[in-house]
Amino acid sequence: MSAPMEVVLSADSSGQLWNCAVFDPHSGTNLLSYRGGNTSARSLTVLNGEYILGAQLGKNFINVWEIQRKDQLQQKVVCPGVITCLCASPNGLYVLAGIAEALYLWEVSTGNLLAILSRHYQDLSCICFTDDSSHFVSGGKDNLALVWNLSSVVQLDSPNTPEPRHILSLHSLPITDIHCGLMGPQARVATASLDQTVKVWEISSGQMLLSVLFDVGIMSVTFDPCEYFLFCGGSDGNIFQVSLCTTSLSRDKTFQTDNDGNQVFIGHRNLVTCLSVSMDGTVLLSGSNDETVRMWDVQSKQCIRSITHKGPVTNAAIIPAPANMFVPDSRPSIPLPRFSRHLNPSEQGDATGAGGVCVRPGANTQDLDGTYLEKADELYSLMSAITDKSVFGDGENTKVRVSELEEEVRTLKKINKDLYEFSTQLLTKPN
Amino acid sequence: MTKKHKRQDDFQKVKLKVGKKKPKADNATDVNFKSRAIHLPEQLKQSNAGPTTHRHLNIKDLLSQLHHYNSNVKQGALVGLRELLSAHPTLVEQHTSAILSEVAALFTDKDGTVRAAVVRLLRFVAQCIPVERVAPFFPLLSAHLTCAMTHISESIQTDALRFLDVLLEHFPGLLSQRHNVLLTSFLELISQRRMGKKDKSAKGGFVQMHTSHSLQVVVQLFWESFLSYFMDGCRLSRFLQAVVEERPLEEGMTNRNALEMWAGEKSTTTPIEVKWEEHGFGKGRIQMFEHSGAMHTPHSTYRLRPDSNLAAGMNKDLNSAETVQGFAETLVPLLLDIWVEAAGGDRVQMDSGHLLSPESMALMFQILTILQLLRRLTPQGDQQDILDAWFRNMYLADFKHHYMKNFPYGLLEVARHKKKVDGKRLHQQAVVGTVAGGNVEPLALNVTLCQVMVTLSLKGCSDVVGQDADWLGPIRAFIKETLSSGSKLSSKHLAALLEVVWRMIVTQRSRVVTDELLQAVYVQYQQRNLGVTVRTLLLSFFSQLYIEEHQNHPHIARSKILASWLASLPVQLVQLGSRNPQLSAHLLETVQSAAARGNKDLLNILQKRACSLYDPQDGCVVVLPVESQKKLVQILYFLPVIPPELLSCLSQVCNTGRVSASLATALMRTIHLRSPLSGWSSGSQDVPVKDVDYLSFFFTTLTGFSSETLQALQHTDEDCLMPSSTLSPISVFATTLDQFLHHWDVVEEVCHCLETLGSRAQCFDVIQTAIIKNLCGLAVVPDCLCTALLRCIPRLLDVNFLPSDTLLHFLSDCCLSMLNLLLQLEQSAHKRDRVWEACFAALSAVPRLLRLVLQSLRVCDLCEEELPHLAQILSLLLQHTQLRNHMMANASLLQHIIQDLTHFYSGETREQWLTDLLYCYSVTLSGPRGNMGMREIY
Repeated sequence: MSAPMEVVLSADSSGQLWNCAVFDPHSGTNLLSYRGGNTSARSLTVLNGEYILGAQLGKNFINVWEIQRKDQLQQKVVCPGVITCLCASPNGLYVLAGIAEALYLWEVSTGNLLAILSRHYQDLSCICFTDDSSHFVSGGKDNLALVWNLSSVVQLDSPNTPEPRHILSLHSLPITDIHCGLMGPQARVATASLDQTVKVWEISSGQMLLSVLFDVGIMSVTFDPCEYFLFCGGSDGNIFQVSLCTTSLSRDKTFQTDNDGNQVFIGHRNLVTCLSVSMDGTVLLSGSNDETVRMWDVQSKQCIRSITHKGPVTNAAIIPAPANMFVPDSRPSIPLPRFSRHLNPSEQGDATGAGGVCVRPGANTQDLDGTYLEKADELYSLMSAITDKSVFGDGENTKVRVSELEEEVRTLKKINKDLYEFSTQLLTKPN
Repeated sequence: MTKKHKRQDDFQKVKLKVGKKKPKADNATDVNFKSRAIHLPEQLKQSNAGPTTHRHLNIKDLLSQLHHYNSNVKQGALVGLRELLSAHPTLVEQHTSAILSEVAALFTDKDGTVRAAVVRLLRFVAQCIPVERVAPFFPLLSAHLTCAMTHISESIQTDALRFLDVLLEHFPGLLSQRHNVLLTSFLELISQRRMGKKDKSAKGGFVQMHTSHSLQVVVQLFWESFLSYFMDGCRLSRFLQAVVEERPLEEGMTNRNALEMWAGEKSTTTPIEVKWEEHGFGKGRIQMFEHSGAMHTPHSTYRLRPDSNLAAGMNKDLNSAETVQGFAETLVPLLLDIWVEAAGGDRVQMDSGHLLSPESMALMFQILTILQLLRRLTPQGDQQDILDAWFRNMYLADFKHHYMKNFPYGLLEVARHKKKVDGKRLHQQAVVGTVAGGNVEPLALNVTLCQVMVTLSLKGCSDVVGQDADWLGPIRAFIKETLSSGSKLSSKHLAALLEVVWRMIVTQRSRVVTDELLQAVYVQYQQRNLGVTVRTLLLSFFSQLYIEEHQNHPHIARSKILASWLASLPVQLVQLGSRNPQLSAHLLETVQSAAARGNKDLLNILQKRACSLYDPQDGCVVVLPVESQKKLVQILYFLPVIPPELLSCLSQVCNTGRVSASLATALMRTIHLRSPLSGWSSGSQDVPVKDVDYLSFFFTTLTGFSSETLQALQHTDEDCLMPSSTLSPISVFATTLDQFLHHWDVVEEVCHCLETLGSRAQCFDVIQTAIIKNLCGLAVVPDCLCTALLRCIPRLLDVNFLPSDTLLHFLSDCCLSMLNLLLQLEQSAHKRDRVWEACFAALSAVPRLLRLVLQSLRVCDLCEEELPHLAQILSLLLQHTQLRNHMMANASLLQHIIQDLTHFYSGETREQWLTDLLYCYSVTLSGPRGNMGMREIY
């Protein structure tokens, strides 16, 4: 059996059989399971394809497994408080955790705590990175979602504390889930809230693009990779599919089922806590408090498979299968250091072990690159300069060049002709 | 005698005498009369050259006369034109082009009387032509105007201002589009004039200075109006240019102005819909967001079509800080000079600098207004800061010296001796007064001065705070005094004052200052009987301060005044009730954001006041409009603890029908989510809703009636009560259709919430106990309660759980009564469908219930009239295919009943109902035999 391209990673809150398990999305068979403790909601994440991190439910530490050694905890990372959400950046360089109302950012390579961001007023509920790790969005119980620029957060010597790039403050009840689309900083992000709306925003401008009002509070949200559809998991167990291709111009709309894409997946009996779409956009995975994980065919809205868990599902996601998940002998390429608990390890005096030098960009040390448009202008002027030159300028050079080119054209034509004749002979030869 | 006498009479000899006048002959003709022609205009009008003036000059003649070398002729032609056009307004439309071009050419006429006539004519013409028709000719007009303004002759220059005045009055928009030429020449003009006047006044005496002064005021007014028009125009053209960027701003312009000032930098919102048609022709910039560079540039100036239009290019350069600086460099010294002169003149008269005469007060007010406008010329954001800094460097000392020295100013009582001044002076005074729009209040002056000065205090520079103390001190004192004096301020002044306060709080970063100022504002806020606008203004000041600046400025966050203001909000909400929904909505918005941020003080107060806020009779949650109700329900989520008393209030709110069913649903979901039973981990240790309270809340909501009401129902004898009988063991209280439907929706949500609880068996056990304890003894039960029970029991029942007999008996009674009710509900299909749905769900899900129902049908106890009813119920049950299996399981019982029925029925003929019943019965039993294993269920 060849290893699957994508796997389903899920966890429930009881943790009776295992903490989290890996399933084959096609057959539903349990491929691997990782033991020890249980994981709280929105805090199971795969770091760099080599480690699985999961925050212990109600405790102040993170369980870490090496992805191929399923039965054994690699380490426990002790944090300053109970972790409410956890996320590793897609490039595997940073780990972000929400602890009470503050965001903690660790650098994976050194284990240094780079920043503590406390701009939320209440507990955090979810964090999401953009696919290029340049931005992240954090949502909290204070109705706010904040868009942060990772590089500005990491920046060392700015006099002020880092500011979020945008404050998305149009929700009126706590935010339950956030999902970032693809395309890095130009992505769209969807936020779900208990106020029965899902709003789609643009990360670049911080503008709200769409707000969809439902009959029930929404607990989870996701896009398919092409952003044709928005999937919203309701607190009554229904999953709503909202078509994003409709041409209506209004910013606010109310969800109604119809035939052009706005439909409902009916099956769960309790809160739908997590949603995820496969890479090809055909399979939707949903985890619910009714202790099942279901796979749906997006096209026909049928439930393909249901995987029963022992407790309310806290995390479920379709992820691309990491390379050494099924290779028991492999080792992670980098060892995971101890995560520090304080902002400046040197001041705490426990930096003796680490001989490394911390390199972080200062503010405004980078030169201003041009924007895309400026670059495009520049490119255009260059191009037009070349054509101008070749058409009008430099008499002597041009003539030589022109004759060279004509020569080349002639040879090419000759070759082409030969080729043509040869092939016609070959084809018309009677045999 | 008679004969003789007769003859004499006939031929009397007239004797003529020398020296005597000759008597007139009898037949002499009296030529002593004058003749006049009779005008019959209508008859004479047939000349085809169009209407004419009284001098028979038509419009062509008049227009050609405008080129005449003789100025009298020209003036006459102008007067004639005016006469002609006022008599025939249609001519204006026909000859707009000719009239405007000819008239404009006379802007530079040598003769003063001609120019005066031109002004009059222009004023008349301008009011006749709409703006869009003038637009094509405006380049011409403005060219002539520029010409006149830069003319070598001084009198023409002066009159050019009058033309400008007329144009400003009627076409401000057009004028501002061409501001770049006009503004510069205008600036030159007035500065030249000033130079000239200065020399004169230096030479001249006291009176001369006053004339020049009042003239300057007029000039100032032009300036001011020009700038303000220009401002508007600038905005206008920017709107057109950047439709995308500005559209929302346009709508909310008037409302948001004040807030915009406070907040300083506000990002504009972009509509998503870009209308390409508009961009195809327009010069609009399309806002794009780019990210490739190290810095993000949210505002790019991408245009769909490269811009060759001159006007747009000119507009651009006026938006930059440098251009405004250029203007300011010319203008500000000018203004300073004017003021010094005026103030100097005043000081000769009187000693005290604090008191100003009305006209110098008006002058100062104008100067300050111009300064304000100048500052607002710059675009928002960084450039404004640059400009502020520049102003500070250049002019702080001057401003301090000239304006702040005698702050605050008061009004001087006009001294008596002024009366002696000659008539000319009085006349001038009148002119000043009218032009300035009446006298300026000292308060307005002082407030404006504060506004101007405060902009000079820099943001975020702690080292200059000490330097600024000398002039910020008096301002602060003045503001404090004004606000806390207890007098009522008009909303305009208040808005300006609040702007000053905001700026000071943000720039000064000192907790003491903040508290002092906020205290003063709070005193104002606490006054009773404030007008709605004033109240809203104060309210939005505080809420903006809280929402926007809270995070960035710890000194604001720690302010006690702000905290106590926040804490007072719930009380105000309760007191306000339904009197002013807008104000309540405003309050709620702030409360919600503060609650979302977990403000402890506010939440405590909210907790205390919750019962009155959510009172089912007259709490805010029922009296306010829907939007506010929704907010209140959302606020509920943030309450740290929801005590039982509040829950009982809320359950009544859900059921009384004064909130919509969807809102009631939202309310229940909020409670559900806040309870740990819901399984949505709130992550915190504290329990907002205890499990006991949670269950009792949902049970109470399920019943729809409080226990008191139910008790009261037992003894009521209203006519909507259906008495109990053998077929209906419980007497049913019929509710209205609205109430029934509302309760139906509510029950749906209750069932849903209870269904999702973790352990179904335990949950059912609790509900069962609650029903047995609270409801089983009742003799009178509302119909909605019966249906609610019948609906929720099958949904909540666990397969492995055996319900108790008491419950089942009660339910069977309910069910039978409902079935009986069903037969009487012909008129309302809604209710009948739902009642049947509930009965059917219960009977099919709980087979024992069906058996109990059948057992309780004792035919022997029935009277004759009830037999048809019974038969109808039975046939109803038999007809339903889903129930058929269950019915067959009870076949013997059924058979018994039917035998009794036929036995007891003593009618002579076989009635229709009996036939139907027997038919149904035979069909059911003859159908495919259901498995008899069903019996084991019982």
